[in-house]
Amino acid sequence: MTMLKFSVVLALIGLFFWLFVFGPFYANPSIQLAVFLFIMGWHLVRFSLRETISVLKFCLPFVLSLFVFGLIFHFMRLFGRSDWLQDTLIKCLVFPSSLVFLKVMLATITYLDILNLPISMQKRIGLITMKSAFQKGESMMRRFSWYLGTYSGLQSSGRIRTVLRKYACLIIALYLYLYEEIENSNRLLQNRYQHLYR
Amino acid sequence: MIVPKNSYRLQDRNLNFEVADDFDFNNSSTCYYLRGGNGFGKTSFLEKIVIPALKVANRQYLYIGQDIRTQLYTLRALLSMQGHKISDTDEYELLKIWVHQGQTARTFIMDEFDKYFPDYHFIFDWSRSFIQNYIIVTHQHLQPARTGAEGLEATHVIFELIGFDGQFKNVRVRKESYDNVKV
Repeated sequence: MTMLKFSVVLALIGLFFWLFVFGPFYANPSIQLAVFLFIMGWHLVRFSLRETISVLKFCLPFVLSLFVFGLIFHFMRLFGRSDWLQDTLIKCLVFPSSLVFLKVMLATITYLDILNLPISMQKRIGLITMKSAFQKGESMMRRFSWYLGTYSGLQSSGRIRTVLRKYACLIIALYLYLYEEIENSNRLLQNRYQHLYR
Repeated sequence: MIVPKNSYRLQDRNLNFEVADDFDFNNSSTCYYLRGGNGFGKTSFLEKIVIPALKVANRQYLYIGQDIRTQLYTLRALLSMQGHKISDTDEYELLKIWVHQGQTARTFIMDEFDKYFPDYHFIFDWSRSFIQNYIIVTHQHLQPARTGAEGLEATHVIFELIGFDGQFKNVRVRKESYDNVKV
C-alpha cells in the first residue's frame, strides 16, 4: 500500500512537471495562471491562509529577480529574442506553482509511510531526517523573518535594498539551520536506532 | 510615551492585557524586570506591544528573544553578510559583535536570557555606554548587583492572571514596588 502511495505521488509529480514545466502547456500563460491559482487554492485548503502567504512571501524575491532580469533581457533583445517578457511572466508563475505543488504532494507522505518503505534503516533515517528538517524549516522561516525585522543593522537607505538584504539573510539563516538541523537529527536518530532498536 | 495605560487585545494569542500603568521607555537609566507565570503573555507583550511601539517611536533597540538558539542563526547570517568571519565563533562572541555594532540602540530587551547565561553581567559591560534602559523578562530572584544593573533604577513589572473565560486570558500588567516583589 505504501509503495502504491509513493508511486502515485511520484507519478503525479512527474506528470505535473511533464505537462506544465517542461511539456506541452508550458508556453500557455492562461493555463499557467489557472494552474497557479488552483495550486494556491489547494495549498490554502490543505494548510492555512497564513502558511500560503508565508510561502508566497518566500517566493517573492526569486520571482522579483526573475522578473527584473527578464525585463532587462527584453529591452536588450538578448540573443535577438523578442519574447523575453512573456517567457519571464510564465516563469514567474511556474516557479511558485511547481514549488508549492511539490510541497503539497510531499506533505502527503507521512513518517509511518517512510517507516513502511522496503528500504534499509539507514535510508529511512535519511528520509525521516530530511522530512523533519524541511517541515520544521517552514515554521522556523517565519521566526527568522521576525527576528531579522528587529535588526537595525539590516536597514539601509532604500526600501528595496533593505528587503533584499533581509531576504539574503533569511536564506543564509535557513541554510545554516537546515545544515545543522539535518546533522543533529541524523546523529540523534542513528543513536536511538543503535541503542534502542534491538 | 511608548506604552500608555490601556487595554490591549491580542486576538491571535488569546490574550487581553489590562496595562494598569504608563510605561515610558524613553526614561533614562531604568531597568524593567518583567515577571509573571508561564503563559501570562510576557513575550507576547514584548513582541506585539512594546517592540511595535518602539518601532513607531523610531527608537532603536536590541532584542534577544527567548528562543536564542533560533535567533543565533539569524545573527550568524547577519554578521556574515556584514563581512564578519563567524565560522568558528561561539555564541558569546557572536552576541558581543552584534551588541558592539548596535550602538545606535537605546533600549535593550532580553527575554529570559538568564536561562542561557545565568550570570549575564557581560551584556551590561558591553552596552551600558549607549543603552539607556533595559527590559528584562526573568523568572530568577532579584540579583541586580550580579547582573551589573546596579547603576540603573529598577522598575518591577508584574503580570498577573485576573481572569480566564475558557479562551482568552485576562492579564493585568502593573508596576510593583521593590518591597512587594516576591523573590
